Amino acid sequence: MKDKKKKKSSPFKWKVMVVQILKTIFVTVAVIFTIYPVIYTIVGSFKTNAELTLGADFWPSSWQVENYYRAFVEADFLRYSLNSLIVAASVTTLAMMTSSLSGFILARRNFWGKKLLISLYLSMMFVSLGAIKLYPIYQMMRSLNLHKSLIALILTLTGGQAANVFLVMGFTRSIPTQLDEAAIIDGCSIFQVYYRIILPLSKPILGVVALFAFRNAWNDYIAGLIMTIGAPQLKPLTVAVVQLKYSVNAAAEWHIMLAGAAIAIIPILLVYSFASRHFISGLTAGALKG
Amino acid sequence: MKFYANRLKKKEIKKNFEAYIFLIPNLILFMSCSLYPVLWALKYVFYQYGGYGAAEIRFVGLENLARVFRDKVYWQSIMRTFTYGFGKVLIIIPLAFLLAYILKERKKINTLAQSTIFLPTIMSSAVMGLVFYLLFNAYNGEINKILMNSGLIHQPINWLGKNHAMKTLIMTAVWGGLGNYMVYFIAGIQQVSTEAIDSARIDGANETKTIWYIILPMLGPILKIILMLAITSAFNDISNVMVLTEGGPNNATMVASLYNYRYFFPVSTTESTVPQYGYGAALSVVTACVAGLVTVLYLKVSRKLDDIY
Repeated sequence: MKDKKKKKSSPFKWKVMVVQILKTIFVTVAVIFTIYPVIYTIVGSFKTNAELTLGADFWPSSWQVENYYRAFVEADFLRYSLNSLIVAASVTTLAMMTSSLSGFILARRNFWGKKLLISLYLSMMFVSLGAIKLYPIYQMMRSLNLHKSLIALILTLTGGQAANVFLVMGFTRSIPTQLDEAAIIDGCSIFQVYYRIILPLSKPILGVVALFAFRNAWNDYIAGLIMTIGAPQLKPLTVAVVQLKYSVNAAAEWHIMLAGAAIAIIPILLVYSFASRHFISGLTAGALKG
Repeated sequence: MKFYANRLKKKEIKKNFEAYIFLIPNLILFMSCSLYPVLWALKYVFYQYGGYGAAEIRFVGLENLARVFRDKVYWQSIMRTFTYGFGKVLIIIPLAFLLAYILKERKKINTLAQSTIFLPTIMSSAVMGLVFYLLFNAYNGEINKILMNSGLIHQPINWLGKNHAMKTLIMTAVWGGLGNYMVYFIAGIQQVSTEAIDSARIDGANETKTIWYIILPMLGPILKIILMLAITSAFNDISNVMVLTEGGPNNATMVASLYNYRYFFPVSTTESTVPQYGYGAALSVVTACVAGLVTVLYLKVSRKLDDIY
């Protein structure tokens, strides 16, 4: 009896095992495919140029920390990193502030022109002119005389925040209005309701807004490229790294390029290693529910 | 009575005023960075602005739009955008779904794999475009070296040459987008009730059948959103193309977003073009319309499909 059962189930088990192995192989290949360019960047940033272009070893024969020194000092990446940091930090703060103020009031108050405003925000989420919208913005910044400072880039990258406004609006709606009402009866103004009640409760959603604002600002390339046309010392890191491709002796500077690329991706990798779960859950909160 | 109405009105005005104080910071940025550029483009569609030997801004009516419709290179770039977009979507969607299906359960090892595959999403596509430019370099690139050393190829492949540039571009775009769509699918699959899956399994459906007859149909609405996001985002991808291939060689990867961009700014520092803002505005408005049209068509077709099933 026992034997019979065993015989019957054994081919079935085989199949399950094969499927399991195939699944594992598939995921492993996907993981290697995604991680390889990142590892290449970081390991490659410690190689000499000759090793990079001619050699075929995975590891560097000796770890060239000097590449980073050259990138930071000779290629002036220290300045560009600072630019990127200032821009990303300011954009994150501004994005959180503006989207939370607007999202809160849209969720809680009716006012003249609210419907029009919401439909404008919505339509701008779907109408996309792409990178060319930067030209009129640049012209405007120039007429305001902001194009010689990082402010132009910061304002441009913060932008309309339409998606984040809706995100915060949806979140605020899920907070019971009884809380506001109780506070108003106790004599709070709408500003105090916002500051004392809603703001502390919206921390989770503002965290999502901050994370994505930081990512977008740190990784941006095109806005940084255009907004700093007239003032190259204001270039963000991404632009400076990519421009190494166009330098006169680019062929001899692969190691500097990779060191620059590593400098540009390591900070965001660090942020990600602490907040990967928030990135992933934030993405679905923004895309599917928003 | 009149006094009361007056007070009400005052209260109303005060309420409106308060609301606008909250809105102002965001509204200023929205007006100047989102709305203004669109209005700007809609205006200059009808103007000659910039270009060869034309210093003044001149109203030209529909001339720019007519030129767009005659511009063969532009329509080729639209077709290339479709190749790029559909290539990206057709590779990403099945892979992302399979990965999501395999990694859907909340286990430590699954979470680790998920966050690794999601990694490219958080990195600058421009910087990684540069890294791919080095990786796929024909003579010194790592990819060719690996393939040659393992004996898979005997001659270096010119990945960024005319014949392969688009494929290479799509490959890097898949790299950048896979994790994103995997996460969307995981969120979708987690919404499919486990009871339906379990009961199908009890009734003797195998894994493939469960996926095909239970999970995919129940994913329907989310799949629709995911596909729409994928299609529209393909029209906006520009920095990866700009850094990896600059639209070349010989326009082989000149997608619409980059083609329009060239009428405003030079793509590389070595290139010198005379900007034509009026014509560029017309191009970008038409491109936005094409993208909108594709979305509408897609929604119509997918609704029809819903009716059939």
